Amino acid sequence: MAASDYKGPAFDSSELKELKAKVVNACLILDSEGITDGFGHVSVRIPEQAALLTIAQVSPGCAALDKLVLLDFDGNYLGGAQPAPYEWPIHACIMKARPDVNSVCHTHSKWSALFSVLKKGLRPAHMYGRFLPVGGAPVYPNAGLITSVERGNALADTLKDGAATLLRAHGDAVVGASVEQAILRTVQLAFLGELAHLAAVHGGPDYLTEGELATFAGDRSFPARPWEYFLSRLGERRV
Amino acid sequence: MAANRKDIPTIDSTELKELTDKLITSCHILDHEGVTDGYGHVGVRVPGADAFITIANISPGSVTRDRLIMQDFAGNHLDGAATPPNEWPIHACIFKARPEIVSIAHTHSKWSTIFSVLPIKLKPLHHYGKFLSADGPPVYEGVGLVRTIERGNDLAAALGDGPAVLMRAHGDAVVGESIEQMIERTTRLAMLGEWNHLALLHGQPKYLSAEELEVYNADQKFPLRGWEYFVSRLKSKLE
Repeated sequence: MAASDYKGPAFDSSELKELKAKVVNACLILDSEGITDGFGHVSVRIPEQAALLTIAQVSPGCAALDKLVLLDFDGNYLGGAQPAPYEWPIHACIMKARPDVNSVCHTHSKWSALFSVLKKGLRPAHMYGRFLPVGGAPVYPNAGLITSVERGNALADTLKDGAATLLRAHGDAVVGASVEQAILRTVQLAFLGELAHLAAVHGGPDYLTEGELATFAGDRSFPARPWEYFLSRLGERRV
Repeated sequence: MAANRKDIPTIDSTELKELTDKLITSCHILDHEGVTDGYGHVGVRVPGADAFITIANISPGSVTRDRLIMQDFAGNHLDGAATPPNEWPIHACIFKARPEIVSIAHTHSKWSTIFSVLPIKLKPLHHYGKFLSADGPPVYEGVGLVRTIERGNDLAAALGDGPAVLMRAHGDAVVGESIEQMIERTTRLAMLGEWNHLALLHGQPKYLSAEELEVYNADQKFPLRGWEYFVSRLKSKLE
């Protein structure tokens, strides 16, 4: 691991205050919306830097301002709580490969875990799935936690320029241009999974076609609105 | 109440305080996480003695300190509540057969029960199942509550050197080298059962192979993180 040449704001600087609160609230949202269990994490890119903030080996539902860690994309520790999450390469490798991505969520969502081991994949049967390809989210096919840069790069290759990938027998990784967008997509991905599962009872859904999806994709999404809603549902837990 | 054997600390001794506190918390966790109903129990080995502590004829979700009981492996009463649970041999016989085991849960988990009476097995399809073998936990086929040493020994034989055994038309017995590990395994066995059930609606899932499980087995396990999370979820109930 090379020494870091990080020149961005220090972990305790006031510049990071807002991003820190956002990461903590994002984790609490994934917990309170029933997406995460005791595991998973949310990260945010430090603007203009090859570095990120995430939670340090704590359940998303127990996230707090003093349980965050600042890391560079090589995994070097730059400040905050220790140790870093074992699967930090999920965040570092995806952000490195995708300059447009500013936030990554990794969860063991029941619905993503389910479709990650089914043969037909998780395809959009609702307009919420407009961030997915019509054939469904790709599946990272390998076993093993993403504890190495090699595995992180392989995961980023599976994700390519997409918004979400399932991880076989594991969960998902969902990205966004903002924390709000990554959270919205993560929640919507779970909704889509549940919906596709429920529809299977009835013989399977009439999935959205490429053309239909494109029509919906022409509409803009409003990640700020559900973010406000999710925060309101956090009540006193929010920071 | 004084213990009947001078070489063994009492339930209320400071020596056993941490263990008994954890035992009580673990029962409330199994209740709060929806694994137990009005039945089931957790046992913990008394360190260095052929004795264990469990709950005496009370639901796991209702347990308090004054409802604990200590028995030796022959079922003799050593301390605490007067009447042992019907199925005390589950604990006595498994602790006797497995010196490395510190804690045992016996539950009527809906998901264990369902797979105990199906021709199809509950098998790992998520890395949460890494504590199981690829073909899933064995099933104890004996009928009747495990109220005798003979049945307890049969159950211990069915468990073998494994982490969990399903009990036909009854539930499960799950063991751990710590209370935290027992809780992680019991809750995960229930999750895996639910996910197996969901997946089977879609046809045959792509279960994890022994080789894939091995890759995960090389990775770390974090029973303490799950424990911290479950305790945080209990807080609202306890306050």
